[in-house]
Amino acid sequence: MSKIIDIKKLRKVYGDGVELVALDDVDLTIEEGEVLSIVGPSGSGKSTLLNMIGLLDTPTSGEIWLKGQNITKATPAERARLRNKELGFIFQFHHLLPEFNAVENVMMPLLIAGVERKEARQRAIDLLEEVGLGDRLNNRPNQLSGGQNQRVAVARALAGHPSIVIGDEPTGNLDTKSSDMIYELLRKLNREMNQTFILVTHDMAMAEKTDRILRLVDGRIVCEMRREGDEFVSHDLCHLD
Amino acid sequence: MFELYAARKHLTARRRQTLLAVGAVALAVTITILFRSLINGFEGTINDIIFQFVPHVTVLPKDGESRIYLYKTLLDAVWTIPGVTAASPALSTAASLSYGGKVENVVLRGVVPDELNKISRIGLDYMVEGDLDSIEIGRRVALDREMAERLDLKLGDTVRASFPDARTLNLVVTGIFDTGGFSTNYAYVSMKTARDFLGEGSVITEVQIKLDDIYRADEVAASLRELGYNAESWQSQSGIVESIQSRRLSNTMIMLLVIIISAFGIANIMNLLVLEKTREIGMMMAMGATSSIIRRIFLIEAGVLGLAGGTAGCLIGYGIAAYVNSLAIALSSGPGFSIYLNFVVDPRDLLIFPLVTLLLSVAAGVYPAHQASKLDPVVALRG
Repeated sequence: MSKIIDIKKLRKVYGDGVELVALDDVDLTIEEGEVLSIVGPSGSGKSTLLNMIGLLDTPTSGEIWLKGQNITKATPAERARLRNKELGFIFQFHHLLPEFNAVENVMMPLLIAGVERKEARQRAIDLLEEVGLGDRLNNRPNQLSGGQNQRVAVARALAGHPSIVIGDEPTGNLDTKSSDMIYELLRKLNREMNQTFILVTHDMAMAEKTDRILRLVDGRIVCEMRREGDEFVSHDLCHLD
Repeated sequence: MFELYAARKHLTARRRQTLLAVGAVALAVTITILFRSLINGFEGTINDIIFQFVPHVTVLPKDGESRIYLYKTLLDAVWTIPGVTAASPALSTAASLSYGGKVENVVLRGVVPDELNKISRIGLDYMVEGDLDSIEIGRRVALDREMAERLDLKLGDTVRASFPDARTLNLVVTGIFDTGGFSTNYAYVSMKTARDFLGEGSVITEVQIKLDDIYRADEVAASLRELGYNAESWQSQSGIVESIQSRRLSNTMIMLLVIIISAFGIANIMNLLVLEKTREIGMMMAMGATSSIIRRIFLIEAGVLGLAGGTAGCLIGYGIAAYVNSLAIALSSGPGFSIYLNFVVDPRDLLIFPLVTLLLSVAAGVYPAHQASKLDPVVALRG
């Protein structure tokens, strides 16, 4: 496996007067094809780290390398291009565009990338069939259930063949059954397409199904556990509570 | 293009807001078009009426003289001026007409009927009995119906024309015209009759001129003054057109303000749209939409609203104008003419107003579009 993300001494400080350290010298390497979960209490910096990896936010100091390229100082246009080509996003709220039906929502990253309408449409239909919504292609978000919308969001995140899919509480708004369904879907796509998944979650049951768990407290990685077979092996001193 | 696609979706999905914005602009443009075309029509009507009786330029004798001598030379000079469409010489004098014990004072004008018709169309449109051409032969006169009634004259009667220092002539009435009171005191005779009456040779007292462009009258009058004659343009005699012009300008300014206000409506709608769409803008950015893509989406939307409103307003305005014109609503009428409620839509307006509303709306959309493009995706996604 090769390194897809390499984070060095990443630091993010918010505020001008009263400083709030959201990330405190985080070092992290993520392998290609890995399914990684990040857990931790609210305000521990999970989402901040995810936004950095997702190129939505910029660090105060430190470096982020994506596929061997230092993207810390990339221009806004370059970051937008990389988000479009390399990254897929799934948020707690599906953030589907209400005016667009399922197919049109899934097509969107492709249309932004300049892919031809017809080709984008076919790719979107294939993906929606993949996530089990082949019969809901022309429904708008308000005509779909929460779980269905989140599956559309998954399909959209995958539309542009991203190398990394980022999920910020992707099941946080769903019941257990829908959550399991979404997770199984992600896992299946990971096996089929070898995409890297980075998930922030509160749901320990889901975290324990991933390959690696990182625990963040006060902007630091305090614990890292890696799956070996059915067991998790702790690499650092961990106090999972 | 993704921007066009997204803009179109926003507009078609939010049909009510879209129609409201387009409607507001359309209403402003409709009112503007109607006002402007009403003023156009009014001005046209005024021009038609006044200029049938008012020559564009009148040439009078040189200072210190009471006659224009060598008037053929003057007429030749007049015809060399570009844009002259008619030049009618006249020998005017005061005269008393008496018949059956009644006496009325008139302006007796010796004219060439064909030339006079080009100035005032009296012989063409306003004759009620007899005709104007008949005065060319012998001692004949054409006069206004009101004057004929005052003197109890009928066609074929002989009236006596006299004046101190003038030869008394007996004139047969061969034409009666009615201009609705515009020229009650005018009595027309042939040039020769007028000269005989005054005992004059080949002289006249004035030349009336018509031009193809009435707004060149001042210029033409000035060039005639350079020849030594006194010359007056209709402009120096009447302020009506200036007042129409200034009213047109002030109206257009007010209308432009109305359109600008409707553009503010678009700015408002765009602002609301950006607020409402904050999360979605964040999501589009996460999907790789650049600031310029976001900006263009909202500018396109504003532009489409403005263009659609402007075009709809023009079509509605034009439709209303055409419909009202077809009703032929008479505002006032007199013998020989009627004033109708008449909208004259300037075809240039139909092109200019959609462009103006397009530009104003895009300008109104600049700030909201800029706000949208400057959103921080992290903050925007949080809502």
